[in-house]
Amino acid sequence: MDRPTPSPELLGFIVDRVSVGVFVVDRDMNVVLWNRFMETNSGRSAAEVVGHNLFESFPELPVTWLQRKITNVFVIKNFSFTSWEQRPYLFHFRHNRPVTGGIDAMYQNCTFLPMKDADDEVAYVCITLFDVTDTSITQRMLRSALKSLAEASNRDGLTGIHNRRYLEELVNKEFSRAQRYGSMMSLIMLDIDHFKRVNDVHGHLAGDEVLRNTAKRLRECLRDVDTFARYGGEEFAVVLPETPLEGALIVAERLCHAMGSNPITFGDLALPVTISLGVSQWVPGIPCYEELIRRADTALYQSKANGRNRVTIYRE
Amino acid sequence: MSTPVTIVDDSSLSRKLIIKALPPDWNVEVTQASNGVEALDACRAGKAHVMFLDLTMPVMDGYEVLEHLKREGLNSFVIVVSADIQPKAQERVRSMGAIAFLKKPVSTEQVAKVLKDYGIL
Amino acid sequence: MSIAPLTTDQSDALQEVVNIAMGQAGDRLARTLDVFVELSVPRIRLVHVSEIVKTVRAMVNDREAITAVRQSFYDHLRGEAIVLFGASGCLDLAVLMGYATDLDALGEQELLLDVGNILIGACISGIGAQLQADISFYPPSIMAEYASLDRVLVPENLAWEYSLLVEVNFTLENSNFKSHLLILMAEEGIESLRESLERLMAAV
Repeated sequence: MDRPTPSPELLGFIVDRVSVGVFVVDRDMNVVLWNRFMETNSGRSAAEVVGHNLFESFPELPVTWLQRKITNVFVIKNFSFTSWEQRPYLFHFRHNRPVTGGIDAMYQNCTFLPMKDADDEVAYVCITLFDVTDTSITQRMLRSALKSLAEASNRDGLTGIHNRRYLEELVNKEFSRAQRYGSMMSLIMLDIDHFKRVNDVHGHLAGDEVLRNTAKRLRECLRDVDTFARYGGEEFAVVLPETPLEGALIVAERLCHAMGSNPITFGDLALPVTISLGVSQWVPGIPCYEELIRRADTALYQSKANGRNRVTIYRE
Repeated sequence: MSTPVTIVDDSSLSRKLIIKALPPDWNVEVTQASNGVEALDACRAGKAHVMFLDLTMPVMDGYEVLEHLKREGLNSFVIVVSADIQPKAQERVRSMGAIAFLKKPVSTEQVAKVLKDYGIL
Repeated sequence: MSIAPLTTDQSDALQEVVNIAMGQAGDRLARTLDVFVELSVPRIRLVHVSEIVKTVRAMVNDREAITAVRQSFYDHLRGEAIVLFGASGCLDLAVLMGYATDLDALGEQELLLDVGNILIGACISGIGAQLQADISFYPPSIMAEYASLDRVLVPENLAWEYSLLVEVNFTLENSNFKSHLLILMAEEGIESLRESLERLMAAV
């Protein structure tokens, strides 16, 4: 049974009005068809574009690459594609998310279709252009959400600085780097003096404020390349990449002074807070990163034993 | 008098397609061979005044057949029929003595033209 | 689902059809890139899902991290094709394909998608043309980047038991570029292929 064939008028109407960019070029890259979507978005009517070379009408197109791409469809006689993930757009069109989009142009997926004549040669290439701006925005939001999720799992909830899990990962990484390249690296472990007393006397809210404020003050004394983390309870750690022991000692003294010089205020209270610190550095022969942490810890307890509010360097 | 023709291809489908493409008015006696060794046997037995030769075959490929024909001084009009249609393959078989190179799948018109060019038909 | 292997006649016909298609694909590529393309004789066989990794490993250099592009085709023939690229030789290709040579990661992805699409498209449409089967393609996608083969093809993630596997290797003259093309047609795809082959043979 013969199916009724749609009339050329109907087909023409669909091609023209469909919400997809459709245009056709011949072997000389002259435009043969330019639908309404292309007209509206490019601001160039079919009358201006049809019969003219595509690249003369749109010199901003990536000529070398696109010409090659279209030529390949003529020679290879096969479909070809571009995706926004690698190449956000072919034509610089405005998108329909001017307010909430946060991107500069309509993102596009394109398909290049060979149109064959009776001799099985490709006479024209039809290019369809899909607006995938919404998809791309959703994807980007998803990726950034995944990234912040990953970031959040590395953070300590109370102080907002990195947590122990992240610190150990990083110490391990820096330790491997030092092993491989012999680069320098130091580690500071520190602990708030008599923290238990703050909690017992002034309550846990005061204790929390002391932790938050300590983290904030210490962070301000450090470089961006240093990693600062809450190691657990009232204990903190600082990883100093590319830093020899002498440098780490200066940083540790600065941290110690930053705490001891001014009390922390909590409501009407002024709470004097001091810290004790221990410093270790990577030297050839240290078997694992845990040993580096153990050494800084040993020095830290030395500081505690010697009266607190001081810095001790690990000595064998 | 009929012309002895040998069709050499490891694929039976391919041999059938070639036989189907032979000009209907050409009086031939067809021998089929599925590798180079069988092709040379046919040739030595005088069954291959014209040979349609595939290049890629097990046991002995088309290039080796061309070499043997030359070395043994066997006379045959060899028409190579191959799927490997790159210019370099074409040059190579012509330099080895093939009279023509036809791209698979072959058509009757192509075969007829080659045969006429060489006065075989 | 068990699957009857192709008959001798069907395999013979398929081998011939694939040989011709690959020859045409090689020729088109050579014309596009303007270099001589060497391609291996296609190998065709029915594989069980448990053998797929071993089979593919035999084709490629095990040590090398591979990048893989996959693409689906549908309509009268139905299946997926995978192109495995070695790590080296991409730069040669960039030049031949009109890409910039200082490719960033996205540029390299785009190049490989493009080349994968050309290889797959040329081979599959060649097969389709001979079998008079219309074929359409979905856009290609990156399946893995610099990953080990075990991560590219994980048998547990494959929802078929038997598949017809066509393998061809492509190399470019005077270049380090190497790629392996795999065409996979699972159960349902094999049946429609079988019908097309029978039609072709009946017409001879």
